[in-house]
Amino acid sequence: MTGRQPAGTGPRTRAYAVDASMDLLNQILRQPIDPDYARVAQQRVAPVVRPRWFSGRWGLAAVALLIGAMFAVGAAQTTRSAPALQTERTELIDRVQRAEQQQDALRIRIDGLNAQIGTLRGAALGDDGTATSLEDRIGSLEPVVGTVPVTGPGLVIVIDDAPSASADARDRVLDLDLQVLANGLWTAGAEAVAINGHRLSALTAIRSAGDAITVDYRSLTRPYRVEAIGDPRTLAARYAESSAGAWWSDLARNRRMGYEVNDVTGLTLPADPGLQLRFAEGNP
Amino acid sequence: MVPLIGLLAGILLGVVLEPSVPQVLQPYLPIAIVAAMDALFGAFRAYLDGIFNDRVFVVSFISNVLIAAAIVYVGDQIGVGSQLSTGVVVVLGIRIFTNAAAIRRALFHA
Repeated sequence: MTGRQPAGTGPRTRAYAVDASMDLLNQILRQPIDPDYARVAQQRVAPVVRPRWFSGRWGLAAVALLIGAMFAVGAAQTTRSAPALQTERTELIDRVQRAEQQQDALRIRIDGLNAQIGTLRGAALGDDGTATSLEDRIGSLEPVVGTVPVTGPGLVIVIDDAPSASADARDRVLDLDLQVLANGLWTAGAEAVAINGHRLSALTAIRSAGDAITVDYRSLTRPYRVEAIGDPRTLAARYAESSAGAWWSDLARNRRMGYEVNDVTGLTLPADPGLQLRFAEGNP
Repeated sequence: MVPLIGLLAGILLGVVLEPSVPQVLQPYLPIAIVAAMDALFGAFRAYLDGIFNDRVFVVSFISNVLIAAAIVYVGDQIGVGSQLSTGVVVVLGIRIFTNAAAIRRALFHA
């Protein structure tokens, strides 16, 4: 018995320390081994009273066995559950992708059904004078409302986060920036606007959700491509003069965001599949 | 010698048999392992100090593991399980490091 007394395991005779109320870490450091070891070692002078059922050697062996088994089982458990987590993740990704595919299929079906509704409506209206004027009205309103795909000349504006966006959140394109841009295009006389292929209608929301900007509740990935169809002679100039044009040239100059405006002759914008007939009236 | 053989035999047993831990006990296994490591290092240091006692070791190991698991269990019931297990790991980790340093000093005198 070399009897080297571990620090701090002796009887508590120290004076009340100044930092006694914040003694937790000190105590952990001072008393790293179970104080019972020291106590039993001090008692060792007297014969140790040991219960009959406890045989030290076997108990020790059993505990050592248990600890070893715990290590092995713990490690095995972790390595076994890692691939399971991976599978779960890929499964979730699969499900998301399947849902997106289904959504796309449904959108295509909506387009088909809308076209069918159009033909049926034409057949139902017949071809007298009122019907023709009604159809003319429908024909002129549909492109503006956004229920049919439209083609024509217009502007393509491609905007993107600044290169420093990862460092400074202010250098990222916000939903507000896209809203300003879309509103500016409407003011400049655009007849149809789409962002990344999502046609804007009176019911389209441009919002941010989490890290992404959503249009029609579908999240966009940057860069954002805003297409607008309008009068090719005036659209670009009126847009540049609008407050949105000023807003964006400011963002491009001061925040170094990507901002490119181009005239394009043949743009095709899809219909907004989110629109539905909300009110109908039978012809008496 | 006995504990070393026991430890190796335990690891072998665990690897060979691969017993699966019941789902209920799974969150407590890592904490129990950290508590076991703390008991092991404490015992080794006590051994080097010449005051090792197998009975104290067995009792301290079992109580450490049970208390650590119980703390995490209670934490889980009141909604601070992960924070409490972090706390347990920090405290036991400090003890393990202190003991490891003492063991190193005793073994290598450095």
